[in-house]
Amino acid sequence: MNAVSRAPAYLGIGLVWAYRVTFGALFPTTCKYHPSCSEYAVQALKTHGLVRGSFMAGWRLLRCNPWSRGGYDPVR
Amino acid sequence: MNAILFALPIIGQLETVARHVLDWLHVTFHLPWAWAIVVLTIIVRMLLVPLTVKQIHSMQNLQRFAPQMKEIQKKYKTDKQKQNEELMKFYRENNINPAASCLPMLAQLPVFIALYYSLKTFAKHPPPGSMSWLHFVPNITWHTTSFWGGYVLLVVYVGSQMASTFFMSATADKTQRYLFMIMPLVFVFVIAHFPAGLVLYWVTTNLWTVGQGLITRRLMPRPAAPEKRTSRSAPKAEPPDSEPSDESEGGSGNGAAPKPPAPKPQPSAKAGPPRKVRRKKGAGRR
Repeated sequence: MNAVSRAPAYLGIGLVWAYRVTFGALFPTTCKYHPSCSEYAVQALKTHGLVRGSFMAGWRLLRCNPWSRGGYDPVR
Repeated sequence: MNAILFALPIIGQLETVARHVLDWLHVTFHLPWAWAIVVLTIIVRMLLVPLTVKQIHSMQNLQRFAPQMKEIQKKYKTDKQKQNEELMKFYRENNINPAASCLPMLAQLPVFIALYYSLKTFAKHPPPGSMSWLHFVPNITWHTTSFWGGYVLLVVYVGSQMASTFFMSATADKTQRYLFMIMPLVFVFVIAHFPAGLVLYWVTTNLWTVGQGLITRRLMPRPAAPEKRTSRSAPKAEPPDSEPSDESEGGSGNGAAPKPPAPKPQPSAKAGPPRKVRRKKGAGRR
């Protein structure tokens, strides 16, 4: 992916960072996955772009629920 | 910057929804605006009960393994990445469902944002009806530090936030837990600039967390500590190949993970020494 096509992904990464420094800091929590959901989102957006990366991040968030078992789950 | 622009339409929608719910509570039940916020918070937390109760339950379960987890944390103190990986491996080996998860916390984010913007709109265009709360908050749209009652609210916020963190971070490592506990003292300076109504939301949600933590602890008895492995006990039977790694193949990651059985299977294999059985009988399951 070249720099131009990757640009929209930075929009999503910006949102993740905004979340991290605001809400994430105010309501601290530990994630059951490694890398954590926000880190996973950043990696997914960087690797797969805005659309696919957002879906991957959203799907991970849904999986990060009290019923799932967590674990090592890197972006592929 | 462009990220914020991207989020604006969503925020607008969220605000409209929150405004509708608040209007409904205000008009239908004749609740003052401040109480409408409290009730809205309670409704949201009630909807999240299935998530949070499960989380507390897992947390209690997880506490049984605290000594082993502490050992791992101590061993890889300097390498956080390795520490996390080892912990995840430990969870998997012992069929543990880690308590912490992002979804219950994140589900509150839209409510928080919606309330923030609703209160900002209230400040610009005050709706009819009382804006005060319990005589010590004259106006929920004012900054918390602009009246003496706001300071009381902030003190309650810090206390309730610390208490709720205490309940919800029981499984985090010590340093992380202390950090989480200290955070409200730092963030109180940021929160002081928020409208009092938002702090009211925060205090309500924290108190709910504390109450829920206390009740769940009462209702769900603490699971018994795992048996201590001694050199005499038979080694754990080798798991028949690793269990289905939940998401790695993108398979059934989500949803009902098979309920993990008790962590220590009764040592069955090996014609073990009979002495051990006698010792276990008394202390075993309760």
